[in-house]
Amino acid sequence: MTETKLTARNVDVFYGPKKAIDNVSIDIDNGIVTAFIGPSGCGKSTFLRSLNRMNDTIAGARVTGEILLDGEDIYAPTMDPVALRARVGMVFQKPNPFPKSIYENIAYGPRIHGLAGNKADLDVIIEQSLTKAGLWDEVKDRLMDAGTALSGGQQQRLCIARAIAVSPEVILMDEPCSALDPIATAKIEELIDELKENYAIVIVTHSMQQAARVSQRTAFFHLGNLVEYGETSEIFTNPREEKTKDYITGRYG
Amino acid sequence: MILTGVLLAVIGLGLVGWFAARARARLLYTGRGSMHSMPGYHGWHMALWILVPGLLTWAVWSGIMPGLVNGAVMADPAAAQLPAEEMHRAAILAEAQTLAANPDAVAFDAKSQALAEPMRAAQTRFGFMGAALILIAALAGGGYGFTRVRARFPARTHVERAVLALLLAASLMAILTTFGIVASLLFEAGLFFKDVSPIAFLTGTHWAPGNARGVDIDGNFGAVPLFWGTIYIGAIIAMLVAIPLGLMSAIYLTQYASSTVRKWIKPTLEILAGIPTVVYGYFAALTVAPIIRDFAGSLGMANPSTESALAAGLVMGVMIIPFVSSMADDALAAVPRAMSDGSLALGATRSETIKKVLLPAALPGIVAGVMLAISRAIGETMIVVMAAGASARLSANPFDSMTTVTYQIVQMLTGDQEFNSPKTLSAFALGLVLFVVTLILNIIALRVVKRFREAYE
Amino acid sequence: MNSPDWNSPAAAKRLARRHAAERRFKLIGLGAILLSLAFLALLLFIMMHSGLGGLSWGFLSGSDSTDPHVAGIWSATKGSILTMLVTLVLSFPMGVLAAIYLEEFAPRSRWIEWVEVSINNLAAVPSIIFGLLGLAVFLNTMDLPRSSPLVGGLTLALMTMPVIVISGRNAIKAVPPSIRDAALAVGASKVQAVFHHVLPLALPGIMTGTIIGMARALGETAPLLMIGMRAFIVTPPGGVTDPSSVLPMQIFLWSDEIDKAFVQNTSAAIIVLLAFLLAMNGLAIYLRNKFEVRW
Repeated sequence: MTETKLTARNVDVFYGPKKAIDNVSIDIDNGIVTAFIGPSGCGKSTFLRSLNRMNDTIAGARVTGEILLDGEDIYAPTMDPVALRARVGMVFQKPNPFPKSIYENIAYGPRIHGLAGNKADLDVIIEQSLTKAGLWDEVKDRLMDAGTALSGGQQQRLCIARAIAVSPEVILMDEPCSALDPIATAKIEELIDELKENYAIVIVTHSMQQAARVSQRTAFFHLGNLVEYGETSEIFTNPREEKTKDYITGRYG
Repeated sequence: MILTGVLLAVIGLGLVGWFAARARARLLYTGRGSMHSMPGYHGWHMALWILVPGLLTWAVWSGIMPGLVNGAVMADPAAAQLPAEEMHRAAILAEAQTLAANPDAVAFDAKSQALAEPMRAAQTRFGFMGAALILIAALAGGGYGFTRVRARFPARTHVERAVLALLLAASLMAILTTFGIVASLLFEAGLFFKDVSPIAFLTGTHWAPGNARGVDIDGNFGAVPLFWGTIYIGAIIAMLVAIPLGLMSAIYLTQYASSTVRKWIKPTLEILAGIPTVVYGYFAALTVAPIIRDFAGSLGMANPSTESALAAGLVMGVMIIPFVSSMADDALAAVPRAMSDGSLALGATRSETIKKVLLPAALPGIVAGVMLAISRAIGETMIVVMAAGASARLSANPFDSMTTVTYQIVQMLTGDQEFNSPKTLSAFALGLVLFVVTLILNIIALRVVKRFREAYE
Repeated sequence: MNSPDWNSPAAAKRLARRHAAERRFKLIGLGAILLSLAFLALLLFIMMHSGLGGLSWGFLSGSDSTDPHVAGIWSATKGSILTMLVTLVLSFPMGVLAAIYLEEFAPRSRWIEWVEVSINNLAAVPSIIFGLLGLAVFLNTMDLPRSSPLVGGLTLALMTMPVIVISGRNAIKAVPPSIRDAALAVGASKVQAVFHHVLPLALPGIMTGTIIGMARALGETAPLLMIGMRAFIVTPPGGVTDPSSVLPMQIFLWSDEIDKAFVQNTSAAIIVLLAFLLAMNGLAIYLRNKFEVRW
């Protein structure tokens, strides 16, 4: 039922002379949620950002090894990061809606990529994206209001809708709930669960409970290494590695 | 002469007082906790008590002594010969003063020769009188100060209070300067508007102060061509150069350039802002203006003038580039990285991100920067004085010679003019307009910048 | 919503077009910088080209003259030095004291707000307005000697003070509060903490700001035109009350001469002025790099 969407082989990531990720290999499957957990500074966000080449925007960052999307090397010279990022969307830690209207926030991606032929197409995309993000009913009467005027949880769902609007294949989420309250968090988690049907979802989280709730697979990172990767239920009930066990039982973190 | 000596004496007294009080305070010291303040503070306290009364008296006396001396001289029988006319009389008195100070000098006017001796006598008399007063004030203050050197006396608190008063006085200088500017502009412009109607001045389109006489005066002080020249050169031509170049430089430096390139290019660009305006003016007149004149000639214009709005505006624009660039730089840097990350993560290119996300988000800051740049350009003087020309005309042709508010201020106030003519006073009216306009631009811009920064904090 | 086909020819064409736009935009940015720098280079080249030949000992030590071949810039240079001395002596203590007060002692009141607005505005008021102030107050009201470095220095001091206050405040603000706390904790009074600990640490920053303000004052011409410093001066001023010219004014006066030979003099004087400014700014950068502590 699952197929491999993203494959990483022997990936190292450097920030200048400093090695932030050391020899990570992992397969990420379609149709499920994969969680990256680990203590802060373990490199899980760094690795996530190398999956859609957002590390390119940081001066001095360098990635070696191979990362394949549907078998295509995303760091190959022929791969266009612009097209790649449309296929591999991203949601950030802090909601970052553009200082524009709700409508313009969603319309931005389809417009730059030329996904809508006309205004009617665009309106359809916007309604569908907002519906999928579970935000349509809350904002359909005020699409022209500023996106920044929404509550934190709504802003984050707007950012998810914005990512969905360009029809990505993978959605990367970098601690998407860390700036939200528990109720908003619950809504986002519910949304992630619905979305996984159509996308490969990777979520970085510092909350083990969240990883246990939303993910089917979990990868545990420590000091730039991938320590253990497997079924979430396995990792949390019966970890193979001592380090994973220590982390999960709260011995450090 | 005497007063200068007394000034030195007061300062010397202060020094003596400082040592004396400190020495006495040291004698009082009997052990830890026996004194409220360290001996040095007693020294300062004492010195202040000598210097403040002494110097105040000195300042007051220096202010009133010339009047007293003149009064005494006028009472002298020789003064009865003086002409009644104020200006002439002042000139003779001034000459007598020079003669009194320097007996070898030769008198131009015999009347002043006669006054020199009484002048010298009066100066000596009042000089000694002042010296005595000043010394009494300083010594009295010092005497009081010395009695305060006691173990429990909080000398430090008193000295610190004086320091705070000094600090406050220094910061009030800023208000005083602003007040001075407003008051002097209003006062002199008020004199001007007694002769010329403000409405004629602000709405008239004919500027020819040289012809302004009698009933015709209003018609020749129409400042609109000046305002137009100022706006055309400073706010239009200069900005057409400075905004695109400054903004694009800032975008390239902040978004594309590596940190090494940025480290070298930015200060190099700033050199443009550090070059004195007179150098730009000379460059405009020497190099740019002839090129533009020849260009205008090649376009088929008959008799193109060397001085042109385009030459001045172009060079002024270049001067403003680093200013616009650094304002835009600040505005772009204030937009959180999350904004551009959000756009890049959607697959937007850099330039799409800049044009559609960064620039709109930074717009208030950039607009404020442009307003400050305009305020700077319209107040700029030397470039227009050297390259724009003197002809007040309402023209949209950039090859025409045009004049500006600042040019006319310089024109009206240099050369031999009697000060209180409407022609001279018009400079202050123009200055007032310039001050008000730049003030409004600055206040709005500073406010927008402040609010803009807060929005992203 | 079907997934778009990123490999279709239409999509590839669109991407190519977007990347071309990206390259164009980047080139425009680079072009803007190069154009600005080219202008700077042209200006410097022309000044060097027409002025370097005029630099000689006689030029540096001589005074103004109607004969371009004997005219020199010493009288104007000395006028500049005297004027700058007056400016520095007045604006530096005033500016530093005001900065200390505003940053460390000022209560949050409406009055202080006025002072702050006033300072920020003065820093942006056109320089010629300061000239009008100097003319109306120092010459017409106080009857100080016309064309003298004293009046020039006073006028420029009022103009420079806000610059020093603003940079001084930033330098003081950059000193971390822990330093003040440490001094207060050993029993120093607030005044002692500021003068013994904060001010010495802020001094390099204040000096940098002061030098930059002074460099601006040194290049200033317009306000000095207003107070009559455009006189033809053949003897160097002996003191701050003697009639005098300054370097930028000398440049302005020579630039107006009909005699073509003055072009060389003007450019040479510009080279000297720029050398002074370069030295001052170099010193400011040196001070900043050498003494500025990053907290």
